[in-house]
Amino acid sequence: MAPAIPVVIEARGLGKIFSVERAPIVALQDISFAVPEGRFVSLVGPSGCGKSTLLQMLAGLVPSTTGEVLVDGAVVRRPIPEKISVMFQDATLLPWKRIAENIEFPLEIAGVPAAERHARAAGMLALVGLSEFAERYPHELSGGMRQRIAIARGLAPNPRILLMDEPFGALDEQTRIKMGHELLRIWAKTKKTIFFITHSLTEALFLSDIVLVMSHRPGRIVGVIDAALPRPRTYDIIGSAEFGAVRNRIWKLISQDDTEAGETGMASL
Amino acid sequence: MKPSVLAAQAAFVLFVIGAWEYGDAVGLFDPKILPPPSQVAVALKGLLQSASFLGDAADTIVRVIAAFLIGAPIALATGFVMGENLDVGRSLSPIFNLVLAVPQSIFLPIFVLVFGLGFTEKLIFGITHVFFVVAINAAAAVREVPHGQVLLARSFGAGRFKIYRSIYMPAMAPQVMTGLRLGIIFDIIGILLAEMYASRSGLGVLLLRWGESYAVDKLMAATVLISLVTILINELMRVFEHRIGRWRQAMA
Repeated sequence: MAPAIPVVIEARGLGKIFSVERAPIVALQDISFAVPEGRFVSLVGPSGCGKSTLLQMLAGLVPSTTGEVLVDGAVVRRPIPEKISVMFQDATLLPWKRIAENIEFPLEIAGVPAAERHARAAGMLALVGLSEFAERYPHELSGGMRQRIAIARGLAPNPRILLMDEPFGALDEQTRIKMGHELLRIWAKTKKTIFFITHSLTEALFLSDIVLVMSHRPGRIVGVIDAALPRPRTYDIIGSAEFGAVRNRIWKLISQDDTEAGETGMASL
Repeated sequence: MKPSVLAAQAAFVLFVIGAWEYGDAVGLFDPKILPPPSQVAVALKGLLQSASFLGDAADTIVRVIAAFLIGAPIALATGFVMGENLDVGRSLSPIFNLVLAVPQSIFLPIFVLVFGLGFTEKLIFGITHVFFVVAINAAAAVREVPHGQVLLARSFGAGRFKIYRSIYMPAMAPQVMTGLRLGIIFDIIGILLAEMYASRSGLGVLLLRWGESYAVDKLMAATVLISLVTILINELMRVFEHRIGRWRQAMA
C-alpha cells in the first residue's frame, strides 16, 4: 500500500453486539482497517461471521455498538448515496419497474431530472453491455444479467465507492467467473474504490489488491493479505503457483482460527 | 381467452335460457314459480322504468358505497399498522382471523337491537363486513414487502416517505386490491342481508316481499340484475388487480 494513496474508508474499532432473548451475542469485535482510494479490497470469511453486518455499518445502514466508520475522514451516521452505492447478494431489482427504470431508481430518489436520468441509464446499460434489455422486466433476465443491471444501477449515481455484499454468491460457477472478469473490466474503466464481500477465497484473491480475512463468533479481522498479483488478470492466474501460495496463506489464517473461534463462539452463546 | 372457449361458454348460457323458455312453453315448469325468460325480461324492463324500484336501488347503493368509503380507509390504516408493528400485528391478527371465521350474519339481530332499523344499523353492519377482510389483506401486504428492497432504497438515501411511496405502495398494491375487491363483495352481501332481515327500503326488502307474494317475474328480474351488477364490479376490479400485479404473476 503506497503511502501516497489517500484512504477513503476507514473502520476504527468497530464492534456489534446483538441482544437476542436477553443474551448478548458479540457479532463483531474491534474491527479496524483502511481502504485506499481506487483499490479493490475483499473481505473473506465463513458464512455467518458478520460480513453483511459489517458492510451495512460501512454503508451507514446499521449503527455500530462501538467504534466508528469514516469516509473521506468524516464519520458515517447515515447512508451517503453521493459517495457510496451498495450491492446486495440478491440483485434486488424492483420487479414492477422496467430495466431502464431500475437503473434510474437511485437518480429518481436523488431528484435528478427525467431527461438526465434516461441519458445516464442508457450510458450505464451500454457499459454493462445490456442496452437491448432496457424495456424488459427483471424476471425476463438471467441471474447474471440481473447482477450486471444491479452494478449498472449502483454506478448510475456516479459514486466513488461500491460496497458489494456477495453479489455473485447465488450464481453458478461459470457465470460467477464471467461476472468476476466483467467486474474487473468495469472497475478498470470506472476507477471506483470497491469493497467486496465473499466467502470464496479464490474469488477474493482473483479480484483484489488487498484481502481482509475474517474469523467468526466474534467476527474479527485475523489477517490482511497483500494480493500483489499482476494485472490485468485472466482465469489462468488461478492455476499459477503464486496464486496457490497466497491462497494457502489465507486458508491457514481461516482454519487456524477455526478452533479458537469455536470455543469463543460457544462461550458467547 | 380463446375464442373457441368463449363461444362454448356463450352457447352454454344460451342453451340454459333456451331450455328454460322451452320448458315453460311446453308446460314442463310451472310459470307461477318459474316464469319464462321472456317474461322476466319484460319485468326487468318494467323495473328499470319504475321510479320506486330505482329509489330502492339507490338506497342500497348509497349504503354499500358509504360502508365501503368509511370501512376501507379505516381497515387499510389498521392493516398497515398491524403489518408495520409486529406487536400490534401479533395481537390483532389471530383475533381478526377468528372473527372472520364466524358467520357475521348471526350478529344481525343484535345489530338491530342496538342500532334500530335505520341507515346507521345497515351502515355499521356493512362496515364490519368490509373491515376485517381489507385489514387482514393490507397487513399481509405490508409483511410481504421485501426487506432487501427497503434496505436498497435506504442505501440510496430514500427517507421514510419516499420508501413508502416507491417500495411499499407498488409492492403492496396487488394484495391490497384483492382485499378491496373481497371487501366490496362482502359489503354487498352484508347490506342486502340486513335489508332482507328487516328494513323499510332497499333491494333486499323488495326481494323478500316479492318472494313472499309470488311476484316471481319481478323477483327473478331483480335477482338477475343484482347478479349481473355484482359480477361486473368483481370482474372490473379483478382486471385492475391483474394489471397492477402483472409483475407478480410473471415472477411466479
